[in-house]
Amino acid sequence: MIAAILWLVSCTGRMTHDLSGVNGVEDLKGYSVAVAMGSSYDLMLSEIDGVDVIRLGVGELLVAVEKGRADFCIIDQFQARMLNLESRGLGIKFNNILKGTACAGFRKEDSLLCSRFNSYLRSIRTSGEYDRWLDEWKSASDSMADASFLVYRHEKQLGSRALHVGITITYPYLFLKENNLTGIEVDMFDRFCETAGYSVDYEIYDFSALIPALNSGKIDVILSHMRRTEERAKQVLFSDAYIEGGGAAVYRIGDGMSSTERAGIRERLRESFNNNLIVEQRWKLMADGLWVTVQISVLSIMAAVMAGVLLCRLRMSRRRMVSSPTGIVIDLLRGIPLLVLLMLMFYVIFASSRITGTWVTVMSFGLYYGAYFSEVFRTGMESVDSGQWEAGFALGLGKFQTFSKVVLPQAMNRIIPVLKGEVIALIKMTSVVGYVAVVDLTKASDIIRARTLDAFFPLILVSVVYIVLSWLTGLGLKALERQLTPKSRDL
Amino acid sequence: MIKVRHLKKVFRTPGGGELTVLRDINCDIEKGEVVSIIGPSGTGKSTLLRCLNRLEEPTSGVIEVDGTDILDSRTDINLIRRKMGMVFQNFNLFEHLTILDNLTLCPMTLLGKKREEAERRGMELLGMVGLHDKAGCLPGELSGGQKQRAAIARCLAMEPEIILFDEPTSALDPTMVSEVLSVIRHLANQGMTMCIVSHEMQFVRDVSTRILFLNEGVVYEEGTPEQIFENPQKPVTRAFINRIRTFESILENRHFDLYGLFGKIHTFCNKYGLGTKVSDMVEHITEEMLCGVMPFCGPVKMTIEYSEKTSGLSMTFRQENTLDSILDNTDEDSLSLMMIRGMSSSVTEPENGTVCVELGTVPFCTC
Repeated sequence: MIAAILWLVSCTGRMTHDLSGVNGVEDLKGYSVAVAMGSSYDLMLSEIDGVDVIRLGVGELLVAVEKGRADFCIIDQFQARMLNLESRGLGIKFNNILKGTACAGFRKEDSLLCSRFNSYLRSIRTSGEYDRWLDEWKSASDSMADASFLVYRHEKQLGSRALHVGITITYPYLFLKENNLTGIEVDMFDRFCETAGYSVDYEIYDFSALIPALNSGKIDVILSHMRRTEERAKQVLFSDAYIEGGGAAVYRIGDGMSSTERAGIRERLRESFNNNLIVEQRWKLMADGLWVTVQISVLSIMAAVMAGVLLCRLRMSRRRMVSSPTGIVIDLLRGIPLLVLLMLMFYVIFASSRITGTWVTVMSFGLYYGAYFSEVFRTGMESVDSGQWEAGFALGLGKFQTFSKVVLPQAMNRIIPVLKGEVIALIKMTSVVGYVAVVDLTKASDIIRARTLDAFFPLILVSVVYIVLSWLTGLGLKALERQLTPKSRDL
Repeated sequence: MIKVRHLKKVFRTPGGGELTVLRDINCDIEKGEVVSIIGPSGTGKSTLLRCLNRLEEPTSGVIEVDGTDILDSRTDINLIRRKMGMVFQNFNLFEHLTILDNLTLCPMTLLGKKREEAERRGMELLGMVGLHDKAGCLPGELSGGQKQRAAIARCLAMEPEIILFDEPTSALDPTMVSEVLSVIRHLANQGMTMCIVSHEMQFVRDVSTRILFLNEGVVYEEGTPEQIFENPQKPVTRAFINRIRTFESILENRHFDLYGLFGKIHTFCNKYGLGTKVSDMVEHITEEMLCGVMPFCGPVKMTIEYSEKTSGLSMTFRQENTLDSILDNTDEDSLSLMMIRGMSSSVTEPENGTVCVELGTVPFCTC
């Protein structure tokens, strides 16, 4: 994903296609169109021959059009209306693409919950509450996109069933404002839960991961502006429709120079900074993400060290029955891409358990890097001359004493410099945990990008934070290394 | 103090075979003794030493230290090892610790000594081995001889009752051997019980109270230094003590390859630094003997023996399948025999069919 963005950002070549004749989906033939991966627009366009479909994350869609990588992008029309598109040199070409309704999704066997939700929808429709509430939202968002909405939150009801709700950040249906989750759908679902007596727990997923997460039992409800399609209905029990909508095709107007681009670089930077961090206190989301990244890194390193020590011990066992199977396990772990291992653990092995993504991450990283660490430990141990063991034994030291006082300090001198690289790799690799519903630093920037549709600033910021993290880790390990080196003399 | 009975050690070779290094070792080491173990390489001297503190696990047999069977699984071998210091060929100082810390680690860990106390004793011992000013150095900064002296001091810091020396000078530069030997000699004079595996024959002879000669997995010969060095009783001991080098060749019949044989003799003489003059003379005698004297009624076995210790050189020619005396059947005026007698100090026939030619000590002053 990051690579895709860099490719987008770096792309300066602008296409000059004549877009005037395009007034509907049928006219898109021969043009390149950016859509959110796995969305219903994606499915629709894939079936039309001659359309060059570019599948991206939600946050990258507008950037693709801005940079001239795509002629059009399709985003929600409600969202398109509320974004200040003109200021970015963009406009809406046509609306009402794939007009349809969004539904909540439930597990097939959870029909009771589904029918309770449906009856709630019916009741608010008949009482007129639904219309009042929708108008409130529409007027609020029409007037000022970033102003303070009426954020309706209810007290969590203790002791009631907790619903795990999987969402994808989609402005303005589900988004983070001042680090609180809000939006039209969230508002509605909160009201339902209050009436029906559930407590609720929102978890942020990639759109394409929602259905697997539902079916594996990670979540109970999909609330993500999802439309009912035949394909999806095979796997998901959809509720009645609760909101109507359609897509808007966004294109670049004229020379495509946005107002921010016309402004000076300082002005642009200030605006970016303001938009991505200050407005709606988005920096809080970043800070939370950073904290999660740090937590996951620290726990994963500890788990990896423990797993590494254990694997190393087994690998170095004199018994072949122990050492060779361990060698195979290590090779297997090192042979699987980390992301695949992570997804396997989350969606297959721990599918039915309620264990959170954070702990699955720590376990997966622990195993994966444990395999790497164990080999580092082993070479470190083997680099210590066997005479050191013998000298310890001959003086009367026991096995453990010889290990801890003689061999380990010497092995550490050789292990730490190698381990430093692995640890930094681990920290950087934590950026993939967004795939298992953990909002870390990278995912936080994704969420902000999905809201502001600005690629440059959040990514640069995140890169800087990772660089600083790696640098600090390197410093820490260097200090440890110095501590262990026999009397670093001042020569 | 140490009693070894029927000790056997079999190594498994990587190919799945077995290699018996120690077959049946019986020996005793008493308090105050300095026992040296010598013998040809590969006879298990180091293995025997390493079995004594169970760095090698014996295959079978009994080892008792002060009446305790150390091969018993209930024996705490670590307690036994505290009493038995060991000095290694490669020093094995703890590379990450300073010399002083090398000396204090075990007394502090195992004997519960306070740091000040351990360091005071450590400095005393370093002073004794002449390394007082190296206390703060890391092992990597010392020369081989200094390292080995530090390793000996490390042993002493545990106040052992016996020290095992495993070829303490084999890994050292010749210039550094004497400083280590002096320290060991000093310990011997103080009455320390020691068991030494060494190739330094002169040193072993000076310092030992008793010598075990190991050969083919058994204690082949045992005695005081005088007995072993002056008057060894068994042939292998004698050959070893006198450092006898041998050359052997069997010649099937009269039509053997004389010049091929000369080539081999030349190589042998070169290897032990005997020079062209000596090798010419040996070749000469060989030619006269084989072409003029030996009757060749069967294969002839020829042996050259050179003692590196005494520099004595002798040749033996044995005529197989004969009961007759060779010299008696040779004409006393035979030119060959006369030439051989001229070049050697004596020609004898100790038993029928075997002619011994003594060439004397190298370099020959007769020529």
